[in-house]
Amino acid sequence: MTLAMTIPDPNATPPHAIGDNDLLRRLNPRDTKTNLQAITTIVPDLTEDLLSSVDQPLEIRRCPQTNRDYLLCDYNRDGDSYRSPWSNEFDPPLEDGTVPSERVRKLELAANESFDVYRELYYEGGVGSVYFWDLDDGFAGVILLKKGVTPGSQSSGEWDSIHVFEATDRARMSHYKLTSTVILHLANKTEALGDMDLSGNMTRQVEVDLPVESDASHVANVGRLVEDMELKMRNLLQEVYFGKAKDVVGELRSLGPLSDANRDRETQREMIMSMQK
Amino acid sequence: MASTVELASSFIEGAPPGELADVVAAHNGEIAGIKSGGGYARSRVVYVCGEADTFAGKVIVSGFNELEDNRYFDPESQTSFEVDHTTQTASAAQSYALESEHADLIKSLLKSFGVHAREHYPSCSYGVYPIENDTVIAIVLVANRYSPNNFWNGRFRAIYQLPVSSLPSALTGNIHVDVHYYEDGNVALNTTKPVNISIPSVSAESIVSRIAATERDYQEALNRAFVQTSEGVFKGLRRQLPITRQKVEWEKVGGYRLGQDISGGKGR
Repeated sequence: MTLAMTIPDPNATPPHAIGDNDLLRRLNPRDTKTNLQAITTIVPDLTEDLLSSVDQPLEIRRCPQTNRDYLLCDYNRDGDSYRSPWSNEFDPPLEDGTVPSERVRKLELAANESFDVYRELYYEGGVGSVYFWDLDDGFAGVILLKKGVTPGSQSSGEWDSIHVFEATDRARMSHYKLTSTVILHLANKTEALGDMDLSGNMTRQVEVDLPVESDASHVANVGRLVEDMELKMRNLLQEVYFGKAKDVVGELRSLGPLSDANRDRETQREMIMSMQK
Repeated sequence: MASTVELASSFIEGAPPGELADVVAAHNGEIAGIKSGGGYARSRVVYVCGEADTFAGKVIVSGFNELEDNRYFDPESQTSFEVDHTTQTASAAQSYALESEHADLIKSLLKSFGVHAREHYPSCSYGVYPIENDTVIAIVLVANRYSPNNFWNGRFRAIYQLPVSSLPSALTGNIHVDVHYYEDGNVALNTTKPVNISIPSVSAESIVSRIAATERDYQEALNRAFVQTSEGVFKGLRRQLPITRQKVEWEKVGGYRLGQDISGGKGR
């Protein structure tokens, strides 16, 4: 087994911990892939850091053994091959590709089964994949979920969830650290609207100790953590994409005449003043 | 393959509202700042220049009012000024006399458009310029709101062109809205609305009233689109709760088999 660089360093900077100086936090999230290529062309030294720390929309591949779709990320990659969670085989085939230990693979299979149910219940479609790997004092994993919709030819949406966790063993407990990123792209086009593009990503983190009775507890613990996190993040995305963005547009341009608004404010102020007398 | 200068310049063009200096300074200027060299002038971004001593307000910097040697003019104050694109400040103001056969129309457009702009944009700059050898009048509006302490910045731009060789004609142009939100993430709204407005008569007031109606209709369409996208595409991606209104019973959805079949009880 090669000790491939696909196994993330648990002490590495998590994807969200981007410095104030980082260009990709400023540039249009819709163009992350293009911008990434441009930056690494200009400063090749940054390539490795950026590729491992920047979240991009997930790609889908079909598993040749099971004919089921799975998702690609840095965590199931070894060289140029990707491991299918359904068959545990690499495509293109690798003789000595990095696979989890027997125990962690069993956990991984169970988690894939559980998150498949979760995906059906919440996403009613889409593709999901779970990858686990061994750590010295526990294990770690990533839960990936992806769904795209194109309800009309003129509007589209794409959701990518990337949940990376570490489970560290404690006595009858496990310490879980979860870092979740959702990448959400929405596009809309009509005659009256022209082109509207709402794109971006948000990252949140949570750490918690939970009781562990058996290995089955891990899947349930991680499941509940991810379920709660996705609910929170869905609400947050809704607030930012549709509430905050709309409010800012209202700050830029007032639908009603500002002189009316100022007059109303002035009248209100006078009323309050007179009531205080 | 694009050159390094072109790539770096694309970052400057793509800088979110109010964050040009941050984009230039990122990675010690190694990427956008130093590498782009003359990228600012090339990019012809319409933006608003910071206040300089000689100006009461902020002035527009665009390809429409560009003279030469980084100088730009403002017909309303009848001045030209030098722009430092790196610091986004204007200086070295000189008086500038507008030379155009359509100077009267430009002046009345400035007056009418100014009234409209102040009624709807709490913080904005605008300009009316003769372009393309005095055959077209450009009307430009930039409204910015920056709130970096709250991790958001916004920009509303409207750019209209009126061919004056065959009046009355139609006004064409684009409205762009850019909003950037970046607290623990990076979310951007970018819109482009092409407009084509027929002009009934060649009076500044009627032209501006058609512009005002178009901008209002657009803002209403955009507000509706926020609601529709939230209720439509967004809901279709991920439900807030499963159709059963119950959260997942994790012990029962596959994990239980692990306890029975694989580890046989105690996990480790």
